[in-house]
Amino acid sequence: MMQKKICMLGGFAVGKTSLVRRFVTNVFSNEYHTTIGVTVEKKTVVVDKEDVTLVLWDLYGEDEFQRVRESYLRGSSGYILVMDGTRKSTLETALALHQTVVRTIGAVPFVSIINKADLQADWEIDETAIEHLRGQGWTVLIGSAKLGQGVEEVFGQLATQIVTPSPAPRTSA
Amino acid sequence: MTDAVSTPDSPDHALFSRVLSALDIVVFERDEESGAYRLHGASPEWWSQCVDPDHRATLDLSRCSPFLQDYLVGRHPAWEGNLGTIEKSGPWTESDQQGGSMTLEASLLSLGSRKLLLIECLGSSFEDMRSIVQRARERVLAEDLTAKLHRNTETQLIDQLEASERTKDEALTLLQHLGIAALVLDVGGLVTFASRRALEVLGITATDVIGQHWEQVLPLSQPDCVLIQSMLEGSSRMESGGPFCLQGPQARWLAVEIHRDLCHPSRHIMVLSDRTELHALRQALHEQASFHDLVGKSSAMLRVYQLVRDVAQVDTTVLIEGETGTGKELIARAIHSSSTRKHKPFIAANCAGLTDSILTSQLFGHKRGAFTGAIQDQQGLFEAAEGGTLFLDEIGDIPPQVQTALLRVLQEKEITRLGEAKPRKVNVRVVAATHHNLSEDVVRGSFRADLLYRIRIARVSLPPLRERREDIPLLAQSLLGTICASTGKTVERLNPDALRVLMSYSWPGNVRELRSAVEFAVISCKGNEVFPADLPPEIAGTPVGLSPSIFIPLSSQDEKTRLLAALSEAKGNRTEAAKRLGISRATFYRRLVELEIRPF
Ligand SMILES: Nc1nc2c(ncn2[C@@H]2O[C@H](COP(=O)(O)OP(=O)(O)OP(=O)(O)O)[C@@H](O)[C@H]2O)c(=O)[nH]1
Ligand SMILES: [Mg+2]
Repeated sequence: MMQKKICMLGGFAVGKTSLVRRFVTNVFSNEYHTTIGVTVEKKTVVVDKEDVTLVLWDLYGEDEFQRVRESYLRGSSGYILVMDGTRKSTLETALALHQTVVRTIGAVPFVSIINKADLQADWEIDETAIEHLRGQGWTVLIGSAKLGQGVEEVFGQLATQIVTPSPAPRTSA
Repeated sequence: MTDAVSTPDSPDHALFSRVLSALDIVVFERDEESGAYRLHGASPEWWSQCVDPDHRATLDLSRCSPFLQDYLVGRHPAWEGNLGTIEKSGPWTESDQQGGSMTLEASLLSLGSRKLLLIECLGSSFEDMRSIVQRARERVLAEDLTAKLHRNTETQLIDQLEASERTKDEALTLLQHLGIAALVLDVGGLVTFASRRALEVLGITATDVIGQHWEQVLPLSQPDCVLIQSMLEGSSRMESGGPFCLQGPQARWLAVEIHRDLCHPSRHIMVLSDRTELHALRQALHEQASFHDLVGKSSAMLRVYQLVRDVAQVDTTVLIEGETGTGKELIARAIHSSSTRKHKPFIAANCAGLTDSILTSQLFGHKRGAFTGAIQDQQGLFEAAEGGTLFLDEIGDIPPQVQTALLRVLQEKEITRLGEAKPRKVNVRVVAATHHNLSEDVVRGSFRADLLYRIRIARVSLPPLRERREDIPLLAQSLLGTICASTGKTVERLNPDALRVLMSYSWPGNVRELRSAVEFAVISCKGNEVFPADLPPEIAGTPVGLSPSIFIPLSSQDEKTRLLAALSEAKGNRTEAAKRLGISRATFYRRLVELEIRPF
């Protein structure tokens, strides 16, 4: 069966682990349990009638205490950049991580998600910033691990992009 | 160094095993031939939770750990003869056989020619480290939150304070109430009050403003400040000026009015009106008619400008399609100068009519002696355009071998100079142009399909001039201006008849041909107006009326003359005269009646 490695990247406490847990086991906890190193989980999805096992590398959040280790990135077929809508600084972290990935393994498919949509009243990342990212060609989803919103989509879209690379203009999925 | 790991039958094997079990580490040795990992010594208790019992002695990567499976495939300096290097994988957590999870870390090292993999289960010290990091992060999050709360309360308090201050002063209350953007300045130019609307317009809070000098509050250019200062010092009751540009990440345009406060003669009220939108509209109007060096405001060209702006935002390869003379290079330049690469070189190369080897050496460069005549090392256009844009005109004409090389460059982002073996990295955006239909070339087999897909990631199609005739007056006038400037002649305008001729011609050579026609006319023109006779004969000779839809309204006197002339040329045949004028018979009749021309 086709097996694809996907890295979850983003600042700390943006909800990477929560998104993976929601996706793999459909649970969510309000408790924060920071990830050190990497937690590896698997989930099989169907893309174009074919089973694909996603090996999800839930990496620790990047901050002054931990920097992303390049060896964790190698061999990835794609990655998900997670931001926390309530903290603007997580957008800068995502941009920097994106650069790091491109520098380390080159351009591979990626999708970004701004998490914590359930707290949208407290958001610091505004529409202009989101449009700016989209203007750079990013796929930006808005979601919430807590509500389960946008979760299937973010993994689904990335899996599709990985399995069906599109040199010709992409038709909307 | 000799091999230092004890083999099962060596005397210190027992000791080695004991040491390992005391350290709680599993040791595998990689067998170079089979690539298998063989267990050394006894495995600790926890390891049996990670693997099923049948697979304890050798490491079955596909079963036991997706992490290791991935981690071990890469290159590892510690296994490549770098003795003494210990490489750590970093911690990883995976589910174990019992449905729980376990955090492990691997170390790689070589001893002599033997490659060892040590796996360790991270225990309490790891958990301690984790909780320290966790606490630090929780602290950062909590501080973020408090700071945010503080900011909110602070603005609320200031707003309230301001509101109560304001009610004391009726003039100010009025300003506030009417939603006027106003600053009140004391005699020294310090801001004592800012209306809510003013804060909105300036995008700042009251604390940033009150007590500051107005020059600090309004980030204007030096000359603008001087001008406003003189308005403040003036003696009249009211002065106004602007719009002035407020510098900042998003430039704003403000008109400024200064009023002397009649109740408090020592203070001034500065009323600001936001003209940004107006300014942007003006700008847009101006841009509509021209974009970079492109002229035209037909809907076809407006679409092209928008496309150029969109394409400039991304860094993909672009294919510009258009007939000869439509201005493909101008489009390429416009894309370059609207893109983030604008401060780097723009290099244009024409690929038409060059042989294989000349084109290869021109694009990729060569080493001295690579061919006869290569007397020194020479960098190619790709290297010359480093960081910028390389415009490849007539891409459809490049020979097959160069197509293959170009495809490689686009894929690998590296070039190899002719005669060299080592590739060099290049970072260049390729913008290509063609007047061919490349899809047809692909079908015909003269152009590689994969190269076409690579270069046509984005595409801009330029309309031929005959499909945007409404741009001809604007283009001709603009060309007239440039040509006069460069020749020193003063020809001011195109006579309506000359314009009509220009608009009826089919322009197979597009804007380039129009330019030469105007150049020709400027040279032959005697006065300060271009007449049809000044135009090149092949254009002046076209029977007006090739395109019946084109009919330029003229002043009635001019038109009367035209109609009469046409009638006389057609020897009184009205159908023929209408045809010569490029209008329908019905229109011709109607105009005859309206202009009171009695047919002969
Ligand atoms: N309200 C809300 N809280 C969320 C959401 N997703 C995650 N959280 C909370 O945010 C905190 C961090 O979530 P994690 O999933 O551990 O974040 P992480 O990105 O894995 O963090 P690190 O591993 O430290 O990098 C936890 O307290 C979660 O409960 C969400 O969608 N909404
Ligand atoms: Mg986590």
